[in-house]
Amino acid sequence: MIDLYAITDDPAPPLSEPLTAVASHGLAVVCGPAEDGEVTAEVLWRHEEVVEALMEERDLLPVRFGTRVDDETAAARALGDRHVQLAGALDRVRGAVELSVRVIGHAGGDDLRAKAAAAAAVHGPLSQEARASTQLIPREPSELLRAAYLVDRASVDSFVAHVARLQEANPRLRLLCTGPWPAYSFAES
Amino acid sequence: MSRDVTERNVALVDLVDRLLGGGVVIAGDITLAAADVDLVYVNLRALITSVATAEEKNALPRMGSAL
Repeated sequence: MIDLYAITDDPAPPLSEPLTAVASHGLAVVCGPAEDGEVTAEVLWRHEEVVEALMEERDLLPVRFGTRVDDETAAARALGDRHVQLAGALDRVRGAVELSVRVIGHAGGDDLRAKAAAAAAVHGPLSQEARASTQLIPREPSELLRAAYLVDRASVDSFVAHVARLQEANPRLRLLCTGPWPAYSFAES
Repeated sequence: MSRDVTERNVALVDLVDRLLGGGVVIAGDITLAAADVDLVYVNLRALITSVATAEEKNALPRMGSAL
């Protein structure tokens, strides 16, 4: 059994053991031996490090964590089955990376309108700087915004500077920006 | 990657969102079924909650950037 990490253009860059690349229809999927066991934070970070190292070299489409196939033949078939959609999705994220922004605060206590306004004051301007954006469902009551932005690689610095300016302008909020991530939140159309 | 511990902890919340909830779905052979994803969240919850609490208390640097 092998685990799938990410899809990129064929040929994939040189990979170090035990990673391999399987190609089909102009795409390549980076695979590694399946790892069993509990999913811990360390396991997730190890997976992420493989994808991020690849991201340094190539534009890529990250594969959902936990995607496993029998062998390389099955990996090639998985590419072939959806190659048109996958190539389209890869094109959409080409030249871009994902940045995460979460906003934490108690704007106006439990006033839903105040919370929405605080979230919009951050999300609105940041969306303008991104190729695409999406909002995830907040998991904590204190979270006003949980969003992902697809940003051109060349625009990452100016995006982060914009986040810093928004933080300055909204001292009662906490803006947490992480990345650049592979475009996980923009991999599916 | 050489993120320091604080950055990694802040970013863990975002990492979990992305790895377990994002990425392209192919082959339909996701070993991690929905129930397993929930289990992962439960297992990581203590860590994630402590990070969230720290964020709320302003105990971490203002920009939790992992850049």
